[in-house]
Amino acid sequence: MADKTIIITRFDPDQDEKPRKQEYRIPCEDHWKVLDAVNFIKDEVDPTVSHRWSCRMAVCGSCGMMVNGEPKLTCKTTLSDYGDRVDIEPLANFPIIRDLVVELDGFMHKFESVKPWIIRAKERAEDKASRHPEKGTFIQSAEELGNYKQFSMCINCMLCYSACPVVANEPDFLGPAAIALGHRYNLDSRDEGTEERHDIFRGEGTVFSCSYANECSEVCPKNVDPAAAINQAKFGAVIDWAKGLVLPRGGTN
Amino acid sequence: MAGPAHPEAMAPPTPGRTRVAPPQMPVTWWSAKRIRTYLLFDATGVIYFLVAFVAIRLVDALGAGPEAWNAAMESLRNPVYIVFHLLSLACVIFVAVRFFRLFPKSQPPMIGPLKPPPGPVIHAMLYVVWLGITALMTAILAGVIL
Repeated sequence: MADKTIIITRFDPDQDEKPRKQEYRIPCEDHWKVLDAVNFIKDEVDPTVSHRWSCRMAVCGSCGMMVNGEPKLTCKTTLSDYGDRVDIEPLANFPIIRDLVVELDGFMHKFESVKPWIIRAKERAEDKASRHPEKGTFIQSAEELGNYKQFSMCINCMLCYSACPVVANEPDFLGPAAIALGHRYNLDSRDEGTEERHDIFRGEGTVFSCSYANECSEVCPKNVDPAAAINQAKFGAVIDWAKGLVLPRGGTN
Repeated sequence: MAGPAHPEAMAPPTPGRTRVAPPQMPVTWWSAKRIRTYLLFDATGVIYFLVAFVAIRLVDALGAGPEAWNAAMESLRNPVYIVFHLLSLACVIFVAVRFFRLFPKSQPPMIGPLKPPPGPVIHAMLYVVWLGITALMTAILAGVIL
């Protein structure tokens, strides 16, 4: 056990003009994660500290915070990896509601805008028949699942939004997680919504706003690799554009 | 330490009921090791911008006749130009290596009925094409072929 100084960003919308820092000197167990330290402060030292957390096993994506300036999932980040002073801030690039709690509505709006559900645009009679339980529901091979599985592992922790230099400067940018999710559905063999998502992916503030800093993939705690999704989508857009130039009706039937 | 990000970054489409503090970002974001590589990558654009001026000057000299062309060629022997072009070469190599390193990520999971080759094979193909084109250009410029 060792004492550490935990510096927490505080912001009370009713009292504070802007966020401020508050230091807590606490005894820390060697096995603690960063989240354990914040929970200790909340439970034993200062119950007014506000933060989000839930599962404590890197599944719910709630406890993302900046730890010494890096976006981290605090339930997965070992406290002893840091020195005597640990600076914990709310996720960068998000409006701050209170202390370490950030505003999620902007993120949810971007998320929803990519239509993250299976679209059966050209549903046919045999599709309806295949929904019968005995025939299975939209049967998919292991290979087809493998095409998009990596991008479906996102836990919406928003660390990628905090790490992305484009998100910090272009408010209209859809952002890594939302594009990765939309791309995941475009790759899904059961989905027929690529056309519907076409404008969402090719318009202003979408895949071509990404400058491939690759930071989103570096900080992703689940190895989703959103930068790969964005750049695969770019590649697809360029191929479609080239087809449109050389093939009749852009190569579509 | 945190400083201001874009005030509208990740803002909700309609403001919430409570007052919020504007988004922040680490003031030392540029000093993180990974970001330094990315910034260096972006900064090479300044060198290409300057190279474009040199190229425009040479095209202008070409149009002005043999004397102007020979004078322009002579001026390129200046040590400042040589250092500048060595720097440009280093930038091109740096950008190409970074591009080749990240390129396999941009490959779709399927290209028609086929999977793209594994990352190391794509890397090898990129380097072979790069070196091949460089050798071909060198041979053309040296008058070995054509």
